[in-house]
Amino acid sequence: MDFASNFSDQLNVGLILPEGIIIATLLIVLIADLIVGRNRSRGLPYIAIGGLLLSVVALYFQWNPENPIALLGSFSGDDLSIVFRSIIALSTAVTILMSIRYVEQSGSALSEFIAIMLTATVGAMFLSGANELVMIFLSLETLSISSYLMTGYTKRDSRSNEAALKYLLIGAASSAIFLYGSSLLYGLSGGETRLPEIASGIAQIEGGELASAIALVFMIAGIAFKISAVPFHQWTPDVYEGSPTPVVAFLSVGSKAAGFALAIRLLVVTFPFEEPQWRLIFTALAILSMILGNAVALAQTSMKRLLAYSSIGQAGFVMIGMVAATEAGYASMIFYLLVYLFMNLGAFTGLILFSLRTGTDQITEYAGLYQKDPLLTLGLSICLLSLGGIPPLAGFFGKIYLFWAGWQAGLSGLVIIGLIASVISIYYYIRVVKMMVVKEPHEMSDTVRNYPAVNWKLPGMRPLQVGLVLSLVVTSLAGILSNPLFTIANSSIANTPVLQKASLIEEEVQDKQVSLAEPKTPAIVD
Amino acid sequence: MLTVLLVLPILGVLFLGILPKTISSNRLRQISLVISIASFAWTMYLFSQFDLNVGGFQFNDFFPWLEPIGLNYHLSVDGISLPLVALNSFLSAIAIYSTSLKIERPRLYYILILLVNFGVAGALMAQNLLFFFLFYEVELIPFYLLINIWGGEKRGYAATKFILYTAVSGLLILIGFLGLAFLNGSGNFEYEAITTAGLSLQTQLILLTILLVGFAMKTPLVPLHTWQPDAYVEASPPVAILLGGILAKLGTYGIIRFCLQLFPETWNLTAPGLAIIGVVSVVYGALSAIAQLDIKRMVAYSSIGHMGYILVAAAAANSLSVLGAVAQMISHGLILALLFQLIGTVEAKVGTRDRDILSGLMNPIRGLPLTSGLLIAAGMASAGIPGLVGFIAEYIVFQGSFSRFPLATILCIIASGLTAVYFVILLNRTCFGKLDNSLAYYPKVLWSERLPALILTLIIFAFGIQPNWLVNWIEPTTNQVVSVTSYQISNNYENAN
Repeated sequence: MDFASNFSDQLNVGLILPEGIIIATLLIVLIADLIVGRNRSRGLPYIAIGGLLLSVVALYFQWNPENPIALLGSFSGDDLSIVFRSIIALSTAVTILMSIRYVEQSGSALSEFIAIMLTATVGAMFLSGANELVMIFLSLETLSISSYLMTGYTKRDSRSNEAALKYLLIGAASSAIFLYGSSLLYGLSGGETRLPEIASGIAQIEGGELASAIALVFMIAGIAFKISAVPFHQWTPDVYEGSPTPVVAFLSVGSKAAGFALAIRLLVVTFPFEEPQWRLIFTALAILSMILGNAVALAQTSMKRLLAYSSIGQAGFVMIGMVAATEAGYASMIFYLLVYLFMNLGAFTGLILFSLRTGTDQITEYAGLYQKDPLLTLGLSICLLSLGGIPPLAGFFGKIYLFWAGWQAGLSGLVIIGLIASVISIYYYIRVVKMMVVKEPHEMSDTVRNYPAVNWKLPGMRPLQVGLVLSLVVTSLAGILSNPLFTIANSSIANTPVLQKASLIEEEVQDKQVSLAEPKTPAIVD
Repeated sequence: MLTVLLVLPILGVLFLGILPKTISSNRLRQISLVISIASFAWTMYLFSQFDLNVGGFQFNDFFPWLEPIGLNYHLSVDGISLPLVALNSFLSAIAIYSTSLKIERPRLYYILILLVNFGVAGALMAQNLLFFFLFYEVELIPFYLLINIWGGEKRGYAATKFILYTAVSGLLILIGFLGLAFLNGSGNFEYEAITTAGLSLQTQLILLTILLVGFAMKTPLVPLHTWQPDAYVEASPPVAILLGGILAKLGTYGIIRFCLQLFPETWNLTAPGLAIIGVVSVVYGALSAIAQLDIKRMVAYSSIGHMGYILVAAAAANSLSVLGAVAQMISHGLILALLFQLIGTVEAKVGTRDRDILSGLMNPIRGLPLTSGLLIAAGMASAGIPGLVGFIAEYIVFQGSFSRFPLATILCIIASGLTAVYFVILLNRTCFGKLDNSLAYYPKVLWSERLPALILTLIIFAFGIQPNWLVNWIEPTTNQVVSVTSYQISNNYENAN
């Protein structure tokens, strides 16, 4: 028995290479900024983007690893985590594209911002694969603390300060609740911290139902804060309104994806015996989020608040896949987060472009924009319509898949609520499109009347243009050409052993269906 | 082969999108006209290849697309959809041709019209439920923008009402489709694979109701029609032609394709109720039309009535009445297009649509004699005067549905008398009487402006005199539809006994 090689097998450090790359990038950005100074650090954002893309490439080569467990069981590099880590890394890459001009215009230092952003990214990526309670808490807090710092980054702006304080207070409270849930789990399982062991540890103990239910609820409260599910959503509108827009873009995509990754892993692995309970809780969260998020968005006058409430509603849609708790349900969540990445970041890019040129984000100020800035109008319209689920854009296919998976799992009521909510959402998304496209030249807002000439040559504008065009193209084509994305989403679920139980249920369902209906086609064998 | 009909408009959209900024409005119109005429020509070619001995679907285009959710690219046409596809590209060409050259933002306008053409053609040909739903929803935004940018005074209100109604209609249809595919356990969205035979009566009734309400909103039928008069009246004439001529047909097409054909047993149970709704629509449409002062609104309400005939015919569900229903869709599309076209001309030249102000347009020198002449022909066609296509369609409908619903049919016939009443009022007030000498200095109607109306009139007369040209294509399919459904019913009865 060779202890050394066995130990290195268990350590399996190669699996965290993507995070290693990002940490190295982070250090390079910080140190390079210290050496060359602020005025000559134009290249740093591109180094950061390069590092993030490199880490996505590294993730690609780790697809379907032979031994997915690393760091002595505290990190799992399975395909589920790979997909979520890629979503997070990509969202940061696009966010950095957006933030170059925005942060410089606000007079703050860019390299520190990027360093905090990369720290948040590393935290979120570790969270996606965390398999152990301490690891989960550490990465969750890495993400949270970096998020608080970014929220208050424009420190001359009082709204940004207020948002940071609010976010910190609510976030710290929910972390404490989450930590209390973790400590209960540690005690209940007889001293286990690794998620699979906790599950078997609790199963052996008799009479712990109440305590484990409390632990479940406390941990869901911590997760629901991250994915801003109603009623844990109240921070979202204020934080989205107050903080710098690129930060909001990251919070709405990267941070949310990390929250969903944590939810899937924690609930499926640790609480398999409580499945009816957490499905019920998530049903309630999903219904409330879809209804409240979409209904309140109707009344918003500021674009950022509108997108905040819309992102609450979108989280509600994603939770349908969570409630379904089947293989197709998880796959539809991943698929939706993949397309949501591009449409939401596209919408935020449009928002940033408009506010950089005009300094406002009131919806009425968008009136008549089509004349002055057709590219921005096109990009923002396509992304908003895609968020509303209009075919043939990416969001339509994402929603169809979510509703399909929900209905397949027998959640017809939830799907119907989702459909009604998405009809409501069409109304407020199209209100913005109407402002930009429909308004006549004489109905133009004063802001648009004094719109500056479109100039992409200013420093930091070209990356914004690249980001806008990229998300425009992906949002319009990813739906029609979504077969590869479907394959990624489905096989990442199929290749993840911890979700095996879910797949067993699905097979049972299929068996039942086959016995009911005549088999029309031979069963597809992977 | 059918893919061409989808590729042409999309190519057109891309081409119009990348043209340089300096391009003239006229050139944009020519390009989109060429595209719509090309797709019309392609449907004519399809007609020449269409096998009249086959009642079922022809010209299969199939590619697996998103297999995990059962969404396949599957196009096919039969005798119900092919004439409607032809009507779609024909009316698109008419709408594009009759668009004024002075229109603002022409590029966006023609792009949206081509998108509408694309979406309707796709919905009519799609043989996969999710694929159909995709095209059904594609219409949403283009029509919203077409009404909202180029419409009349209250266009914002009308467009919002339109989009909310249509979105709810889409919602119901998706719920119905998901139910259809999953409740019998297959999860298969292919049209051919869908069967409701295994479902309990209660489930069938619920699904059928959901789908019927969804399609009735689009058609529209009383009491779900309230978006329609606003949308038709506020839309500019070419858009109104597309809205009434084609979009409404998606609703009736859906009723026949997805309600009548998929629920043969339950359909017969609900048929009396549907016939009543149809009759109410017919009578309500006619009576409301009589009360209108705005002649465009009059035509909008008349359209509700004409949609009611289709429901009565579909409810009767025998080979003759279903044939009549399809013929009525085509005939209504043509007649409504002609009416909106002529009213658009009158409004453009005279400057009002108020029937109390309009007068004496038949005056050969200072009035609009040819336009009002055609208006008389169109009114007669709509009211069901023999020799015109409207009569043929309505006659087949009445003939078919009388055996099943005698009372409903008689009420429909009476209502078609009411149609004559309001068209006589309309024609009497606008075409006859005296011109107001101080105001009647109307611009001349150019021959190029008359052309679409003349072509439409010619077709309406041609089909009226030689109905076989229309009915031949439809008949094999409707016969088969009815025989298959009645076969299924008798089969199920045998199984039950």
